[in-house]
Amino acid sequence: MKFADRWPPVPAGILIGISMLLAFAVAGRGIGASGAMTRFVAWVQHGLFPIATEQSVYFGKYFADGAHPLNDYVSFLVAGLLVGSFVAAWLAGELRVEVLRGPRSSVAYRLVLALGGGVLAGFSARLARGCTSGQGLVGGAELSVGAWVFLMCIFAGGWMGAWFVRKQWI
Amino acid sequence: MDMILPLAKTGAISSSMNLWLALPIGFIFGFALFHAGFTDSRRIAWAFYFKDVGVPVVMFSAIATGMLGLWGMSLIGVIDISLVYMLPTYLLPMAIGGLIFGLGMVIGGYCPGTAAASIATGKVDAMVFIVGFLIGSMVFADFFPVWGDFYNSDYMGAFRLDQWLGIGLGPTVLIIVLIAVGGTLTMRFVQNKVWPSTEEDPQKDRITKMQGALIAVAVVIGIVFAFFPTESFIDDSVEVPYYIIEKTTVSQAVSDTLPLVTVAASGNDA
Repeated sequence: MKFADRWPPVPAGILIGISMLLAFAVAGRGIGASGAMTRFVAWVQHGLFPIATEQSVYFGKYFADGAHPLNDYVSFLVAGLLVGSFVAAWLAGELRVEVLRGPRSSVAYRLVLALGGGVLAGFSARLARGCTSGQGLVGGAELSVGAWVFLMCIFAGGWMGAWFVRKQWI
Repeated sequence: MDMILPLAKTGAISSSMNLWLALPIGFIFGFALFHAGFTDSRRIAWAFYFKDVGVPVVMFSAIATGMLGLWGMSLIGVIDISLVYMLPTYLLPMAIGGLIFGLGMVIGGYCPGTAAASIATGKVDAMVFIVGFLIGSMVFADFFPVWGDFYNSDYMGAFRLDQWLGIGLGPTVLIIVLIAVGGTLTMRFVQNKVWPSTEEDPQKDRITKMQGALIAVAVVIGIVFAFFPTESFIDDSVEVPYYIIEKTTVSQAVSDTLPLVTVAASGNDA
């Protein structure tokens, strides 16, 4: 089996749920990844255009009272996430520099779509105030109506777009 | 009764200790993402073709675990649920955001957490995806005045499914567990119809039994929850000052009209 070193989906999902529960119990909030990305981009932009970024209506709050945008819960969480994934892949012998794509996809086609999909996901994660984990999984566990609508719309959007990019994957 | 959880909000640990403890929590998250197969963009995208429905099954399992654990901790009285940050609902922005996000996922093959985890395993397409993700976030932030009003529209407070359905929280939890189980079985069925498996997995029976046992435990806990009234899980009559509404200066007029503290019980009129 190709993914023999991976776990079956139910126990893997339960472990993700346990990490969420630990965040609830320790921090009183959920897990998430997109917040750290936003803070990272605020930090990079601040390095280039400090005054404009501090006056930005959206980024400005990350710099209030001289705060550092990366000094936040979500940044520590993502730092741990990177190490955790690295260790898991290392133990499974799957650390490999490669471009993952379907059998009919060229490397260039895959990377262009990866960039475009990233732009769409980055924009919409801000619009929805979170991504799959921070908004979808955590909000789903909290029984938030908005989170469940978000989750269902993710799959609706994915199925709508699937036909157009099928050469990339299958 | 003194509840000690959540540790950082009851003062049991300092805020800097809370930050450091995010590292092992993130470690577990990243470790699990790898073993869920989420560091492989193909597996994520295949969910949208029913070629590999592992992604929704993992998501159902994670939500069920988090949900049963969170409300279970509240039920037995170890966590002060009023101190847990409940995500507020902005219905239309979240619906539109979800549609675009789903498009981004099937085109890009990742979401931010999975892409970060995949970068740590050396995948170049994940690195490119994250570059795009950062650009998309930057566009949203730098042109925020353009869509700021829409972003803050359709606000409903921390509005829960049980309030929307007008039934108890316990039965709602059971319904979600049953939807997760039904959704998992349906998707497996569709996958086997559309993409019949050609190779025999010798461990298949053992894995099926193990997963079935875990699912059975979740259903039993859900049935127990269904017998408890909503008040056993959360006191909706108390105004909770922890619903953090993101402020905006550009559409100050909008945010000024938004209540900073919302009584969740007022949300029945969906």
